Amino acid sequence: MKRTLPAAIANLLVIALVIVIFSGAFSGAAESAGEVSGRFDGVLEENTTLRILENDTAIKQGYFDALLTAFNAQYAAQGITAVDANMDSYLDLEQDGPYGYGPDVIYQANDQVMKYTDGNHILPLPVEQLDCYAQTAQTAWDAYTIGDGQYYGVPVNVQAPVLYYRKDLLPANWETDWDDDSNGTPDMLEDWGAMYRFSQQIKTESGGTKFGYMKSLYDTYFASGYLFSYGAYVFGPNNDTSDVGFAAGNAEIGAGVIRQLAGVMNEGCIDDTITVDCYSRLASGEYFATMTTPDLYTMFIRELQLVYTAEGLSEEDALAKAAENLGTATVPALPENGDLSDETSPLIPCKAMGGINGYAISSYTKAPDACLAFIDFATSFEMLLTRNEMLGIVPARSDAANSVGGLTGMVNQILGEGNLVIMPSSRALQQVWTPMETLLSDIAKDPFRPESEIKYPDLPSLKAGLEKADQQIYDAIWTLS
Amino acid sequence: MLEALRQGDRRVAASAAIMGLGQLLHGQIAKGLLLIALQLSAVAFFVLTGGKMLLGFVTLGSVKANPAMGIEGDNSVILLIMGIFGIIVLLLYILIWRANIKDCYNTQKRVAKGAAPEKFKAELSSLLDKNFYKTALFLPILGVCVFTVLPIVFMILIAFTDYGGAVIPPELVSWTGLDSFRKILSLGQFAPTFFKILGWNFVWALLSTALNYLGGLGLALLYNKKRIRARAVWRGFPILAYAIPGFISLLAFKFMFSYGGPINQMITGAGGTAIGFLDLDAKWTARAIGLFVNAWITVPTTMLLATGILSNIDESLYEASRIDGASRWVQFKKITLPFVLFATTPVLISQFIGNFNNFGIFYFLRGGLYVDNYFLASDTDLLINWLYNLSIDNNYYAIGAAISLIIFIITSIISLAVYVLSPSYKQEETFR
Amino acid sequence: MNQKLRRLGSNTATYLVLLIPSIIFLFPCLWLILASFSSSGSIYSFDGFFPTSFSLGSFKALFTDTVMYDYPEWFKNTLFIAVMSCLLSTILVILTAYVMSRFHFRSRKALMKTTLVLGMFPSFMSMVAVYLLCTQFGLINSSWGLILIYSAGAPTGYMVQKGFFDTIPSAIDEAARIDGANNFTIFRKITLPLSMPMVVYTALTSFTWPWSDFILPKLLLKEKSLYTVAVGLMSLGETEFARFAAGSVFIAVPIVILYFCLTRFLVSGLTAGAVKS
Repeated sequence: MKRTLPAAIANLLVIALVIVIFSGAFSGAAESAGEVSGRFDGVLEENTTLRILENDTAIKQGYFDALLTAFNAQYAAQGITAVDANMDSYLDLEQDGPYGYGPDVIYQANDQVMKYTDGNHILPLPVEQLDCYAQTAQTAWDAYTIGDGQYYGVPVNVQAPVLYYRKDLLPANWETDWDDDSNGTPDMLEDWGAMYRFSQQIKTESGGTKFGYMKSLYDTYFASGYLFSYGAYVFGPNNDTSDVGFAAGNAEIGAGVIRQLAGVMNEGCIDDTITVDCYSRLASGEYFATMTTPDLYTMFIRELQLVYTAEGLSEEDALAKAAENLGTATVPALPENGDLSDETSPLIPCKAMGGINGYAISSYTKAPDACLAFIDFATSFEMLLTRNEMLGIVPARSDAANSVGGLTGMVNQILGEGNLVIMPSSRALQQVWTPMETLLSDIAKDPFRPESEIKYPDLPSLKAGLEKADQQIYDAIWTLS
Repeated sequence: MLEALRQGDRRVAASAAIMGLGQLLHGQIAKGLLLIALQLSAVAFFVLTGGKMLLGFVTLGSVKANPAMGIEGDNSVILLIMGIFGIIVLLLYILIWRANIKDCYNTQKRVAKGAAPEKFKAELSSLLDKNFYKTALFLPILGVCVFTVLPIVFMILIAFTDYGGAVIPPELVSWTGLDSFRKILSLGQFAPTFFKILGWNFVWALLSTALNYLGGLGLALLYNKKRIRARAVWRGFPILAYAIPGFISLLAFKFMFSYGGPINQMITGAGGTAIGFLDLDAKWTARAIGLFVNAWITVPTTMLLATGILSNIDESLYEASRIDGASRWVQFKKITLPFVLFATTPVLISQFIGNFNNFGIFYFLRGGLYVDNYFLASDTDLLINWLYNLSIDNNYYAIGAAISLIIFIITSIISLAVYVLSPSYKQEETFR
Repeated sequence: MNQKLRRLGSNTATYLVLLIPSIIFLFPCLWLILASFSSSGSIYSFDGFFPTSFSLGSFKALFTDTVMYDYPEWFKNTLFIAVMSCLLSTILVILTAYVMSRFHFRSRKALMKTTLVLGMFPSFMSMVAVYLLCTQFGLINSSWGLILIYSAGAPTGYMVQKGFFDTIPSAIDEAARIDGANNFTIFRKITLPLSMPMVVYTALTSFTWPWSDFILPKLLLKEKSLYTVAVGLMSLGETEFARFAAGSVFIAVPIVILYFCLTRFLVSGLTAGAVKS
């Protein structure tokens, strides 16, 4: 006891002392102020490799390769090389960046990008230095600011719902019977009412094997446009997430439109059957029209081409025929009273939910100026034109958009008119999807229920449903915070 | 330990002060040097990083990072997890140090009896015999400590912080005591949903475990019948299901049950109306499908296991009973079932736990639904799915950890009780 | 004559019963296999149960069109990870189970109860911690990191194997001990050969787990070229269903082969014979 206990205590004391001394000593040393000034000094970091995260379609269609080759050729002298980050396009910078596993430059949707501002995971950019600065509309830039006067991303393209349809499936007599205003555009592309009546006609005539307009209606991104048109919104002014507004205004009228549209479809509109299926069904002629984003244009072309080559055309002829028969249009207008079967109601513009995809720079990059140079290059007039050609996207740059015309012009026009509701750049947005999907699929199911089980027979019941979804979204955001 | 400290001579004291010194003084050179090296590396570890780790555990960081401005700062969760790591190393050190004192004391007693200190070689060879369990368990226990225990301790500790929501790195996390638990208890909406889901969760775990177990055992017995030819081929069908990764099967089933899928197509093709198997109001059909799909995925595993175990039954037992004129049913009841039950009680328990915490099944089959009268959950969700909705999906880690701690306590008490009362725990020797 | 008839009847009944599980298990697999031969990328290009048109295109694309989706590379990665962790886990699990069954050391029962309880903690909660640990130990983007985690976690599942070892009569051990064998030799020379069915079962399950796991590799592998098949398949675009199905069918092949190679070990009960000799 005399000798052993002190010895034991001595050993433990030494360890304890070591711990205390060295933990204390280091905690003081770890602090270093770090430079507070901006990370951009205008000097290109030479001999660096930039890891760029692009989206899958750009990689698949070969655009990304073209972009990298062009950029690397131009910056070969400085030794700057841009490479594919080779990562999942939905990666979460918040999770990977701090540990050094993220890319240097990311291309993602604005809500995704802006979520990273919370922990300063992306850099505020000196955007006025960029070539595209003056050419890009303020509405697009607005998607990349949090009201601190800083911009955190550079808009590349506008994502908005686009109607895809088969020109060759229009009724032969459309110019006389389906063009009331004689403006040379079929009514069903201008008026949801006409689209509804046309769809009903196709469904009845084919005995339920062919359809007009088809879309998975539970998809909040596309379906909420109907609600917005009658006064709904996602979050209150300044992204006030305590104010959820899917039931605001006369949103129930919009919900009624969704219910009517479900009636001219089949049950596939309740789950994601149609979303997955629309490319091949549109190609096979079972669907006349559907709605999705502009960057999926090539997908429809590919499926149509497959059908035509199967019919015996050569690859080239099939491609030409596909391009000829695939039509695109912006979202049609809605009847003011929300009754799609009423031909006399005045029309109001249909709003749509959209997003702005763009580039941002990770805070964890070692070469911010080179990254900025890459973004400048990738958002140049020529590159955006190429991007449009190869991917069918709608450029956010107005000079590029104007020189393309067509669909691009139309989308930008909607954006300019304020009919495109940009997805809120808020982390809370992810709480919106599940409650809304539940409600929308419930509404879409209604026309397929037996008479006695119908849940949404009138506007008040729809309103109640929307209010419940609002409450769920609010709960999901606020209960635990 | 106390005895060693009280009765130890100067060599024991030397070992207590510096590991291995006493052994060295006993002339056990190799062991002594090994322990001294351990002592030195322990000190070096705590000087270099261990000290920082332990301090970080207490403070959870003091400098807020701002990556956009290049300020590195402290990452609270990393500090927490490495702090736990440091504590594990410290505990390990104390354990070895204790063993070292005891070892020295044992040698002292040995010498007092007139024997020579044990040879290093003899001690090494005991690691393959008397102490074989130490050798065999060293790596498994180390691995489990680092990659299973440490993460669990981490999540339990998270329940006592404010980690989650807006407080995620680079924000600094801090210790908040029982705040998360208070928050859960104060929320009225939670209770009804919790008990509804808990009830279904138990029903689900019981039904699915029973179904999988009986299904697997039944198949194994069926394929074991003597008269069947090409047994490997028949048994190959469940293997097909086994070979396809679970999440792919789940996705495939979801497609099959969707409106455009083959099942609804065949129903409509035959003139019926499509059935919304996994729709919003398909409560019990959806649950039944869940049970079926889960059985489809799990039964093959149970079958393989039961086949392996059945092969170990002493054939002579059957022969003897046949001579006694026992029918096949009696044979099954008296020989097969007790034997299989005995060998598989732990399996039953672990399957029950697995099913109780079966996250994938309804996440893949019927995710993304909030049903009326449930707080942010659907009527097929299990507790683990609800937990996911509440915490990971919404980033509320502290609350999620607190709820899972509560669930964990409930389930572990129940299954521990079942396990301790089971014959395979109480009478391990029955079939020896 | 009568007896023959009865046997025939009973045989037919047995085979009829055998058909039921076979159909239940085959049906969804068959659908997946048929889907992989569909020429369209869509999930729903089916006439009821059968695809509207057949082709080998998706299998060809699986192995040749590797710009976006490098299936052969994923397959190699998965094979490496699965084989290595199968070897390591099997050794660790069998050792643990054997020791827990045969050695009655002091903290044994406490250890058994602890491992049981450990399995009950919701696993995705601790995934966060595993990810953080791996960033600190440099195990992100590394096949060895996955192998380490799979093998390190495996011993908690020793219960099944322990239950099996408990059924092997200890008389065999004692006989060998009298002959002067030490515990390690007994384990190696006697227990192990007697436990082939269990070793095979363990090897099969510990191969299948990394082979088909999705969550862990998704968490730890950030670079596409390091993906395993499971992660890769989930990253396929929504219009690639035929390719998804082809990939899923192909990933099942090694397990089926493994099963047919190992099946004779699985059912070889040796206990009875060993005691006698």
